Amino acid sequence: MLANQLARKLYPEILRGEVSILLLSDCPDHYYKPAFMYVAFNLYFKEELKRPERSLLRPEIGFQVEKVTRFDFAGQRLKTSSGKPFSYDFLVIATGCLPAPERIEGLQEAGDHFYQYDPARQLAQRLSTIEKGRIFISVSFPQTPNVPHQCGIAPVETTLMLDDYLRRRGVRDKVEIIYTYPTTAQLLRNCLFLQRPTGEILPAIFEQKDIHYQRGFTLSRVDPDAKIAYSAEDEAQPFDILMATPPIRAVDAVLECGVSQAQNDEGWLPTNHETLQVYGLENVYVIGDTVDLPVSKAGGSCHNQAPVIANNIAAEIRLGKPVSVYDGRVQAVAQMGLNAGMPLWYDYSRDVQPTPPTKIGGLLRNGFNRGLYWAVARGML
Amino acid sequence: MNMPEDVSATPGYSALMARLQPLIDSGRLDNIVDLLSLVSDLIDLLDAATVEKLANVFEEVTASGWAAANTLRMTRAEIMTQGKPPSLYALLKLLNEEDTRKGVAVVLKTLNVIGRQL
Repeated sequence: MLANQLARKLYPEILRGEVSILLLSDCPDHYYKPAFMYVAFNLYFKEELKRPERSLLRPEIGFQVEKVTRFDFAGQRLKTSSGKPFSYDFLVIATGCLPAPERIEGLQEAGDHFYQYDPARQLAQRLSTIEKGRIFISVSFPQTPNVPHQCGIAPVETTLMLDDYLRRRGVRDKVEIIYTYPTTAQLLRNCLFLQRPTGEILPAIFEQKDIHYQRGFTLSRVDPDAKIAYSAEDEAQPFDILMATPPIRAVDAVLECGVSQAQNDEGWLPTNHETLQVYGLENVYVIGDTVDLPVSKAGGSCHNQAPVIANNIAAEIRLGKPVSVYDGRVQAVAQMGLNAGMPLWYDYSRDVQPTPPTKIGGLLRNGFNRGLYWAVARGML
Repeated sequence: MNMPEDVSATPGYSALMARLQPLIDSGRLDNIVDLLSLVSDLIDLLDAATVEKLANVFEEVTASGWAAANTLRMTRAEIMTQGKPPSLYALLKLLNEEDTRKGVAVVLKTLNVIGRQL
């Protein structure tokens, strides 16, 4: 998305041979990761969610499958797993984040999540066969202050999808759903969502659907044999399926680069809220999940960060300084159940103002997942 | 138009009615209501499978158009930067480049598939 926008922005310089753009990725394919949560409900095949990365890039952009293993910021070089070095004048780090369930004792063994394809398939297997019991939903935030977990609305989305899914299967009356939220959620305490206006409407929505909910459950340990989740608040909750939003961390190369000051070795890069440059580094920008910003680690954030970074790199080349400012804007269509959707947007200064979920919203989200997203990735929307 | 006092005191309602009044007077408001009904019917008719088909068509059209535009833009830019037309030797050399051979294969295969559908 950003590479395509950069190529368009810097096209005159590219034509003159003064600028070249190279994208390094550790995978030849690009996955639409936000739809992995649908995989947990048997709604998407893996093949529908991937495209060859090359097919999404303008031809002026070079593309190589190389996994970056080390950043040499002083020398403006990258080392890769193949041993091949790459130098740069400007660098954008878009390495995302990784689920790290192993950071909570027992979660790896007993928990499920939907933030990667294989775990989502495993969860799908469990959700499609459970006949009775208790599905326990937990959310773990990074320990770095005011940094959210991956895709803020995803736990609410999947809870409501789960309710619809079990009703469709005809077993909802025999399966208890309990949604929990930790004591500390960025700047809020003892809430059900990381933004107050949305958190305040959730109890009514959950009660209408007979979804139980509990504030102040910070997952600290899981007993895989007894199937009990323990909280930092000294509570124990039994489960048959533990659908968790696990801890997350930056990728190894970012963790090891020594620039992050994030707590718990999480690796978030210190990010200028406005220019999206990495503090303390020359000519280095960061986009997406690797930032330490308070906004959602989601595609809707990248969508608004990409034009800012493209503008700022073009401005540094042409004017010697960045000129564009990111206002924290994030927009998305939240999947509120299997058929309904709720368009939402927010920024650094304004929270989401929730609106009633609608069928049109659900159709829009489905259309985005199936088709519009690829136009966004190509930098067309 | 006579309105109850509590309704006419609502500025938004009054402003809306002022805009609608010409449509009501000329009988054209019926068209707008019919259009809303049609849109509502279309939304009712849309289901997940239809949206999937429409989204796939959208991607195929936009991706094809995007790839064609990219090809034309890049080809034109590269030819324009050369200053003078390429020599016959340069053209033959170009023909032997891997990317050219892939492109020629796409063109020939496209003709092949067109033929298959005739």
